[in-house]
Amino acid sequence: MQKRFLMVLMAALPLALFAGRAMADVSVIQLNVQAGRFNPTTVTAPAGIKFKLHVNNAGPGAEEFESSDLNREIVVAPGHSIDVFLGPLQPGSYRFFGDFHPDTAQGRLVIR
Amino acid sequence: MGSILFIVWRESIEAVLVIGILLTCLNRLGAGRAARWWMWAGVAGGLMLSGALAAATMLVQDELQGRSLQWFQTGMMFAAAALLTQMVLWMQRQGRKMKAGLEADLTRAVARRQDIGAGLIALLAVAREGGETVLYVYGVGAGQSTLGVALPVVAGVALALLTAWLVSRGVRRLDYRIFFRVTGVLLLLSASGLVVSGVASLCGMGVLPGLIEPVWNTAGLLDSGSGLGAIIATLTGYRSSPSLTMVLSWVTYWIVVFWLTRRHQPAPAAATA
Repeated sequence: MQKRFLMVLMAALPLALFAGRAMADVSVIQLNVQAGRFNPTTVTAPAGIKFKLHVNNAGPGAEEFESSDLNREIVVAPGHSIDVFLGPLQPGSYRFFGDFHPDTAQGRLVIR
Repeated sequence: MGSILFIVWRESIEAVLVIGILLTCLNRLGAGRAARWWMWAGVAGGLMLSGALAAATMLVQDELQGRSLQWFQTGMMFAAAALLTQMVLWMQRQGRKMKAGLEADLTRAVARRQDIGAGLIALLAVAREGGETVLYVYGVGAGQSTLGVALPVVAGVALALLTAWLVSRGVRRLDYRIFFRVTGVLLLLSASGLVVSGVASLCGMGVLPGLIEPVWNTAGLLDSGSGLGAIIATLTGYRSSPSLTMVLSWVTYWIVVFWLTRRHQPAPAAATA
C-alpha cells in the first residue's frame, strides 16, 4: 500500500512543478510589518489576476503572516521577506493578521 | 500570560490528540510496548526538530533558502498525512481481524514497521506546529522573566494533555467496533486537514493555482481563523473560505481513503464462510 501512496505522490509532483513554472511572472505588491504593525494596513489589488504579496519584516522578532480568509500562514524572520502568492481572487475584503502580535498586527486586502 | 497559554494549547492540541489516540488504539491492539517506545522517541525527535526549524527560520539568508524551508514544511504535512492514513487503515484491518477472533497474523517485521511509523507520526505531529510555537514564545517572552514564560507554556501543554486524556478516556468506553470507527474517523479527519493545509501552502508558494478563490465563505457561521473555529479547522480540515483547489484536494483525499478501505475489505461471501 505504501507503494501506492508513492505512486500518487510521484504523479502529483510533475503536475505541481508544471503549474509552478506557469506562475513565474506576476506583479508584486509590497507589505511591510514592523513591531507588530502592518504598513499599509489596507492593501488594494485588482480582481481576477495573480499577484504576490512581498511581506517584509523589519523586526524586531519574527512575525507570522496569517489569514483564514486567504488560507495563508507563514513565518517571516526579522530582517527578511517572503513572497505570498495570491489570486485570482473574487472581489471583496480579506482580513489578514500577524499571528505573533494579533492585537496590533491587523490588516486587510481589498480586491476590486 | 493568557495569550502564551492559549497559543501553546492551540498549537499542541493536535499533536497531543493524534499521539494520544494512536497510543490508545495501539494499546487496544496489543501492540503497545514497542510502539510506545517509538512514539516517545518520536516526541523527543519532534521537539528537537522544532528547535532546529525555529533556528532555520531565523537564520534564513535569502529567498532560495526561505523557499527550501517552505518546501520542507509542506513536505512534512503530506508525509504526516500519508503516514497517518496508512496507520489508520492498518489498524482498522487489524481491529477487524481481532474482533473476528482470528489469530493476529502480523509478523514481527510488519509490527516493527508500524511501530516505526507510529514514531514518525509522533515526530511530525510535534515538529509541525512546534517550530512556530518556539518562535512565538521566544518572541513574546523576550524581556519577560523565565518563570513568566515557562509557566504558561507548561500550563498550555498540560491543558492539551488533559484535553487528550479526556477524549481518549471517552472513546475507551466505547464498544470495540465503534471505538475503532470513531478513532479512525478522528485521525483521518486530522490527516485530511493536513492535506488541505499542504495544498494551501503550495498555492501560497505559487506552485498550485487556487482556481476559484474563495469558493464559498462561511466565516460568519464559523471562522476558521479564530477561537473554536481555528481548533475545529486543524482537527477536521474545515476552512471557512477555501479555494477550489483546496476543496478538490479534500474530496480527492476521501475518495482515495474510501477506495483503499474498500480494497482491503473482505468480500461479504468470504467473510461469512
